[in-house]
Order: sequence, then C-alpha cells, then structure tokens
Amino acid sequence: MNNKFDALKDDDSGDHDQDNGSPKDGEKERNEDEEKDQNTTKKKAVVPGAGEHPLQYNYTFWYSRRTPGRPASTQSYEQNIKQIGSFASVEQFWRFYSHMIRPGDLTGHSDFHLFKEGIKPMWEDDANKSGGKWIIRLRKGLASRCWENLILAMLGEQFMVGEEICGAVVSVRFQEDIISIWNKTASDQATTARIRDTLRRVLNLPPNTIMEYKTHTDSIKAWEDFHGLVNASGGR
Amino acid sequence: MSLNSQTTSSRAIPATRRVILSDAAQLPHDYSSTPGGTLFSTTPGGTRIIYDRKFLLDCRSSPLAHTPPSCLPDIPGVTSPPKNNKTHPRERVSCSSSIPPVDKATGEDAQFEMDI
Repeated sequence: MNNKFDALKDDDSGDHDQDNGSPKDGEKERNEDEEKDQNTTKKKAVVPGAGEHPLQYNYTFWYSRRTPGRPASTQSYEQNIKQIGSFASVEQFWRFYSHMIRPGDLTGHSDFHLFKEGIKPMWEDDANKSGGKWIIRLRKGLASRCWENLILAMLGEQFMVGEEICGAVVSVRFQEDIISIWNKTASDQATTARIRDTLRRVLNLPPNTIMEYKTHTDSIKAWEDFHGLVNASGGR
Repeated sequence: MSLNSQTTSSRAIPATRRVILSDAAQLPHDYSSTPGGTLFSTTPGGTRIIYDRKFLLDCRSSPLAHTPPSCLPDIPGVTSPPKNNKTHPRERVSCSSSIPPVDKATGEDAQFEMDI
C-alpha cells in the first residue's frame, strides 16, 4: 500500500499517454514532479482509527480551480487539481468535511471531487476511461445540500452497484452548479439506471429535474472538438 | 432457502414480524433498510459496509470526528478553519504521517481540547 501513488504515476506514464495520443510529454513530467512534492507526506496507507466506523472504501478529497485570466486550453487540468486528503472511516471523513468550505460558498470556477482512493478524478484514469457520469444541473443555492446528500450516499454504499462507483464531483460555475457521479462502465445500463434511481431518492429532487448521462468518451471528444485537439488529456 | 423442506438441515427463518404501513411515506429512505429496521445479509456485489444518511450525520457529533485532519493543506478559502478563526491552518501543514487519529492539533480551540 505504501507505493499507491507510485502506482498512479505509472498509470500516467508510457502506454497511458499513447492511448490518448497526448502530445505533451514535457508538461506531464512537470506534473509528476509537482505531484511527487505534493504527496511526499502521504505515503502511508490511511486506516480507520480505534473506535471509528470503517468505510467500504477509502476516499480522497480533491479540489480544483481554474486560474482566472487564462484560457482553459492552456492549462493542464492535472496542474490545477490539488489533493486535500484521504480517509478510511466515517469519523475521518467528517474531520475533512468540517474543515472544508461548503461548495455553495466557493467562488470562481471551482470543483470539489471525492473519489475512491487510487482513482484520479480524470477521464483518462483506468477506472474512468470506459465510464461516464450522471450530471444534474442545479440552480444557485442548492449545491451544498445536494453535494452533502450525494457524498453521504456514496460513502454509505447506498448505490448498490458493486464496485461501479468511482467518485463524485460538485462544480461551481457562473450561473449554476453541477453535481455528478462517475461510474466505471458507461455501457452497463442496469448500473446506470440504478445510479439514476438512487440519485433521485437521496437528493430528493423535484420530479422535473433533468438528469443527463454522459460517457467520458463523449466528454473527451467534445473537449477536443472545442479546443481543436490541443493538449488532449489536459484541461476541461 | 426452502421453508417447506423437512429433509434439509437448514433452520427455519426465525419469528416472522409484520410491520404494517399505512402510507408510502413510512417507507425507509434507503434501499438498505426494511420497514421496521435494517435486515439484510448480503447485498448486490457482496457484503458491504452500508450506512444511511442519518447514521453518518450522527457520527459527526462524535469527538473522534472533530480533530482537524493532519496534513490538511492550506488552500485559502477552501480548507478554512471551522466556526471560529482562532486556528491557523498553515500550522498544520507539515507533518510526517497521514494517519489522522493521532492528533497534534493546535490546541487553541476549545472544540479540540477534549480530544487530546
């Protein structure tokens, strides 16, 4: 378990880049260095403490923010994303959560990500590359409550889809906020339907709420079309 | 599991308990609960650690849930200190272990004193 971050780095090197035809090796290296610095203090596996309630999986909180004034296409997504920390029990989750601002109070173009430990909140991660996500657009004012309900359902294993869930994201944008939950296999309709139904139930959504399923392959294609194929695996 | 077979050695399901619901609103809010309590042995995908929302929220009040995480990075405006501004997140950044329960938190805040 000690070298889980090394494992992540391996994912990003060599064949992975080739898979994506990503032409930006230099940038990749820089990211790896940054990541190494960021993670040097986190080599030890997180475990539940005495008397704590273990979770089915360990999870990691991430935060990302688009730097104002720079077009998205020149920024690497990976460069902008920071690990906040990992936890293995209900109590450890609350320690992080209680020390983080609520998404509704975030400013600018920013996101919280909560992913299973070892899965990067990126389309290209092995766990995500054949996957997709349910997206719900929320009017301003609802994000904090919906995000909390969403992640509590995920941590408490309410989705009942085996290993399928990868993580959840809340994205704070100019006029709306978006929450999404990512799963491994976009083509597994029984799973995606079950996730949708669970979302409706745990988020207590009004019946007319629009829910949209998007495969990551489509997201990547849309992103590449929009940015003219530059910098493929990077930004959003 | 078969109820009517006398030949197997399996035991009968213990006492049946009926819970009468008069309204759909009395149904539990999650798949893992049954009316009148939680009852499950296995779940799709194998045995899993399941918690409902209420249970998770109740855990929040445990003293174990209050210690600030070690290694919490200081991201201005994001990993803000809780409730009051007495603690300085920057002080907590450097540490050697990521195992959270051990806490060497900054001690100033009354809320954390009881954990030490």
